[in-house]
Amino acid sequence: MNFWKSAALGLATAAVAALSVTSQAMAEKRHKIYLSMSYIGNDWQAEAANMLKAMAASKEYADKVDLKVQVAGPNAQKQIQQINAMVQAGAEAIIVYPISPTALNEAVKNACAKGVTIVAYDGVIEEPCAYNVHIDQAEWGKVTARWLADKLGGKGNIVMITGVSGTSVDTLRNKAAREVFAKYPDIKVVAEANGMWSQAVARTELAKIVATHSWDTLNGLWMQVGCYTANSMQLEAGVADDKVLPCAGEGSNGHRVQMLPKDTQAAGSNGTYKPLGAPSISASSQAYPGAYAFKIAMEVLAKKKVEKTTLLSPGAVTNDKVKLCQTGSWEEMKAGCNTFQPEIIPNPGWYASIFSPDLPQVGLNAALTGTPEE
Amino acid sequence: MAQSMQAPSARSGNGLFSAALRNRGLAAIIVIFILALGLVNAISPAPMSYFDFHSLANGGAPLALAAVGQTIIVLSGGFDLSAGSTISLVNVIVASLPQDTLAGQVGVVLLGLLVGGLVGAFNGFFVAYFRLQSIVVTLSTMFLVHGVTLLIMPDPGGAVAPEITAFFSGSAITDVLPASVLVVAVALLAWLYLKGLRFGTALYAVGSDADAARSAGLSVPWTRFWAFTLGGLFYGAAGVFISAQTGSADPLVGDPILLQTFTAVVLGGTSLAGGRGGALGSVLGAYTLMVMVNILLSLDVSAYYSTVAEGIVLIVAAMAGALGSEAPLRRYLSSVGLRLKSRGAGFAASAATLKPAALRQMSAQDQGWNVSWLVRHADLVRIVLPAYLAFVIVVIATQVVYGGDTIFAWKYYDSLIVLGSFLAILALGQGTVILSGGLDLSIAWTIAFCGILAAGLINGSNLASVWVIPLVLVVGAAIGGLNGIGVAVLGLPPIVVTLAMNGILQGAALVFSDGTPAGFTSPGLRWLMTGKVLGITPVVVFVAIFVLAAIGLLGRTVFSRWVYALGNSPRASYLAGVNVRTTTIAVYVLSGVCSALVGILLTGFGGQASLGMGDTYLLPSIAVVIIGGTLITGGRGHYVGMLGGVLLLTALQTLLAGTTLPSASRDIIFGLVVLAAVLALRERSTG
Repeated sequence: MNFWKSAALGLATAAVAALSVTSQAMAEKRHKIYLSMSYIGNDWQAEAANMLKAMAASKEYADKVDLKVQVAGPNAQKQIQQINAMVQAGAEAIIVYPISPTALNEAVKNACAKGVTIVAYDGVIEEPCAYNVHIDQAEWGKVTARWLADKLGGKGNIVMITGVSGTSVDTLRNKAAREVFAKYPDIKVVAEANGMWSQAVARTELAKIVATHSWDTLNGLWMQVGCYTANSMQLEAGVADDKVLPCAGEGSNGHRVQMLPKDTQAAGSNGTYKPLGAPSISASSQAYPGAYAFKIAMEVLAKKKVEKTTLLSPGAVTNDKVKLCQTGSWEEMKAGCNTFQPEIIPNPGWYASIFSPDLPQVGLNAALTGTPEE
Repeated sequence: MAQSMQAPSARSGNGLFSAALRNRGLAAIIVIFILALGLVNAISPAPMSYFDFHSLANGGAPLALAAVGQTIIVLSGGFDLSAGSTISLVNVIVASLPQDTLAGQVGVVLLGLLVGGLVGAFNGFFVAYFRLQSIVVTLSTMFLVHGVTLLIMPDPGGAVAPEITAFFSGSAITDVLPASVLVVAVALLAWLYLKGLRFGTALYAVGSDADAARSAGLSVPWTRFWAFTLGGLFYGAAGVFISAQTGSADPLVGDPILLQTFTAVVLGGTSLAGGRGGALGSVLGAYTLMVMVNILLSLDVSAYYSTVAEGIVLIVAAMAGALGSEAPLRRYLSSVGLRLKSRGAGFAASAATLKPAALRQMSAQDQGWNVSWLVRHADLVRIVLPAYLAFVIVVIATQVVYGGDTIFAWKYYDSLIVLGSFLAILALGQGTVILSGGLDLSIAWTIAFCGILAAGLINGSNLASVWVIPLVLVVGAAIGGLNGIGVAVLGLPPIVVTLAMNGILQGAALVFSDGTPAGFTSPGLRWLMTGKVLGITPVVVFVAIFVLAAIGLLGRTVFSRWVYALGNSPRASYLAGVNVRTTTIAVYVLSGVCSALVGILLTGFGGQASLGMGDTYLLPSIAVVIIGGTLITGGRGHYVGMLGGVLLLTALQTLLAGTTLPSASRDIIFGLVVLAAVLALRERSTG
C-alpha cells in the first residue's frame, strides 16, 4: 500500500505545481468560459465543438476569453456534477450541449443563482434562466414531411427512420411529420424503425426493412438521418441512378452531393458518394448552434440584452438550391453554396450545414479544424 | 479468479492493521477516495465550500444508492443489467403523478421504492425459482422496463413537488449537512442491518458457494429472491432521489448509470464472483467516480482522455485491492522464478509432453461407436434446441405478418445472414471467453477502433487492404492479448480489465481520428458485404466457412478442451495439466481478432467507419451466447447454439423493424421473446 500512497501523493504534488504555474500565466483579465459537451462520438458533435472553438479563437474574442472544454458522456448525473464543478472553478459562462432538457434544471438554477450565464445549444434546457439556441424541431418535421408528400403527389408507401426514442427532439419531429402525413389518406407508412441519428444504424435498420419489403414496393423515405445511406443501398441493390426514391432528411454532405445534378464535376467522388440528382430535401439541425451559443454568452457578459430563446432556421435545401462550394469560405457560402467537394470532406456523414449569416467568423475551416476565418 | 476465500462476516479482527489486510479492497478504496478528495481540494482555486460539498454529495447520491443495490445482487452471485432502466421507470412514475399534498408526496416516494422492489422481485422470481441465469433475465427485464417507461412518458417532462426536491436534495442542517448525506447514510445503515440478519449471512454464503450453503441448510432460492428484491428497492431509492434532484423526469436518465454501478462495485472491492465485499466500498467507489469529474476539470484534461483516465483509475484500484502475498502477480513471478530454477536443474514439469496426449485419449472415449447420435448428443440438443425452435417460430410469424413469398424467397435469408454475420463472428470470441469463465466488455470500442484504423489506412484502395486487413487483425489480437495478460498474469477480474480497455480504446480512437474518422473502405470489401453474385451476397460464403471453422475450433481441438476445462474449474484444470495462463490469454486474443474482423466488415458494409459503430454490439454479443445455451459462469455451451441465438435475434429484429409498432411495444416484445427463449432453456433436473 505504501508504494501506491507515495506514488499518488507524488502525482498530486506534481499536479499542484503544474497548475499553479499555468494559473499565474493566465492572471490577466479574461472571461472564463466552459463548454460541457455530451457525447463526442459523432461528426456533428465534433463539428459543433470545432466551430465554437474557432469563435473563441477569432480576432474579435481571442484575447477576451479563456475557453475550456469538458465532456460528460451520455450521463446526465455526470453533466450535473460537471456544471457544479465549473461553477466552483469560477466560470462566468457555461455553454452546454444538454443531455436532458429536464435533468439539469436544478444544477442550472443553482449556477444562475451564482451569477453564471448558462447557454444551451441544439438541445434545450427548460429552466427559465438558461439561454437556448436551437432549430425549431417541429418545423423540421413539418417541412420535410410536406416536401415528401408533395413530391409523391399525396400517395404512396413510405418508410420512416426516426431518431433516439425517449428524447424530445425525436418526439417533436415525428409528431409534426405524422400530422402532415395524416392529411394524405393515400400516404401509407409501411415500416418504421429507430435510426439513432446514425448512418451506420440507419443502414442496418433499412437492411432489415427491405428484407421484408422490397425497394420496388416503396415510394419514398422520411429519415431523421440516413438519406445518403438509403440512396447508396438502392444503388448497391441495382436501382438505376435516376430511379432512386425521394428522400426527406438531414444535412450530411454525402446526401447533398448525391442531390447535385448528375453531370456536376465533384472532385474526389467515389463509390456512391457522387452527384446523382437524387430527389431530396435536406433540412438540418445546423452545425453552428455551438458557435452561436458562444456569441450569445459573450453578448450576455457584455451586458447586452439577449432573448432567452434563439430559433435557427432548419435551412431546407432542395434540388434546385443545392450548390457546390469551391473553397468553403464564409463569403462564398453567403453567396449561396451549401455543399462541399468529397475531396475535402472524405466522410459523407459529415454535416454540410455550417453557414450562418450572423457568424462571419466561421466557415469551412472552422468546422474542420477549429480555425476562424481571416 | 483463483482468489483466496475469506470468511467475510468474520469481523472480530485484532487491530486496525489486520482488519485492513483482511478487507484490502475496502481499505484501497478508502485511501483512493481520500487521496482524490485531497487532490481536488489542493488543485481547486478556492478551498472546498459548503456549496461544493453539497453538490458533490448530491451528484454522487443516485449512483451510490444504485451501487448499494447492485452490490447486494453481486454478493449473492448474480448480475443485474436492469438497474439503469429501473431507475428511469421510477423516475417517470414519480414525476407523472399528482403530489400537491403531503400525503401525495409521501405516497409517490413510497410508490417509487415499491416499483423498484417489484421489478427486483420479478427478476428474483425467475432467477431464484426458475433457476435462470441472472444476466439474461435482467437483460430481458431491461428491455421490458424500458418499453414500459416509454409508454408512460415518451419524452422528458413531468414535475416533482418542490417539497420533495428540498427534502432529498436540500440541506438537512442549513450550511452544515446536505440531506443527501443523510439519505446515503440511511441506505448504509439499512445495509448494515441486513448484513447482521440471517439474510446477510445467507447472502455471503450463497454467493461464495451455493452448494455448500444448501448443504448447510440455507435456502438458496429464498436468498437469491430477496437479494434481487432488495437490490431493486435500492434502485427505487436511486430513482426517487434523481426525481427529487432533477425536479422532473427523463425516460433515458438511468440508462448510462448501469455500467457505472459495476465500476463503483468493483472500485469498492466487491468481488464480481460473489460472496466477498460490501456496500460501503461501493458507495465510496461511486463518489470517487464523481470526484473524478472535478479532478479532470481542474487539471484541464483533454476531453479525449477522460475515458482513458477512468480506465486507468479502475485498474489501479483493482490492483491495489489485490496486492498481497497471495496476489496472482506475485504468485506468477515466483512461479517464473521456480520454473527457471527447475529448468536449470533439469527437472522442469513443463518438459513432460503427455498432457495433450492424455486429454486426447480421454476424448476418444466419448466417441463411442454403437450409441446413436441423438443419445450421445442429448445434452447438446437440449441446450441448443430452444434457440432454433424460437427462431422457427419467429420466421413463421414473419410470414404471417408480411404474407406473399416473404420467407420463401432467398432474399430474406440472404439479408438475415448478412446482418447476422457480425454477431456470428462476435459470438465465437465472446462465446469462447464466456466458456472459459470470463467476459469481454471491450468489444464495442475494439470494433470501433479497428474499424476506424482500417478505413483510415485502406482509404478506398484494394491494394492497401491487402496489408491493412492482416495488420488490423494483428492489432485486434494485441488488444485481446493485453486483456488476457491483465486477467491471467495480473489476476484482475475480466470485467475490470476489459471495461478499462474499452475506455482506453475509446480515447485512442478519438485521438487517432481527432473526433471525425476519415477514410473509406475498399471496393473489394464493399463488394464482399453489399455486392451480389447470382443473388447471393459474397459474405454469405465467408460466414459459412467461418461457422464451420468455429464449430471445428470449439469442438475438436485441444484448445477447446482446455477452454471448457478452465470454465468448469480453473483449479482442477490447472492440476490436470491445462496451461491456464496461456489458454486464458488465447481466448481473449481470439475475441480481439473477432472484434477486429467485425470492425473491418462493418466498414465494408457501411462504406465508412464511425466512432460509435461498435456500441450496439456489446449486449447482443453476450445475449446470443447465453440464449444459445451457454452458462455465463463458463464450462457449458456450444457454438451451434450461439449461432441459433444469432439467428433468433436477427430474425426477431427484422420482423419488428418492418412494422409500424411504436418503439415502446417493440422493446416489450423483444424482452418477452428473450425471456421465453431462456425459460425454455431451464434446467429440468431437480436440485
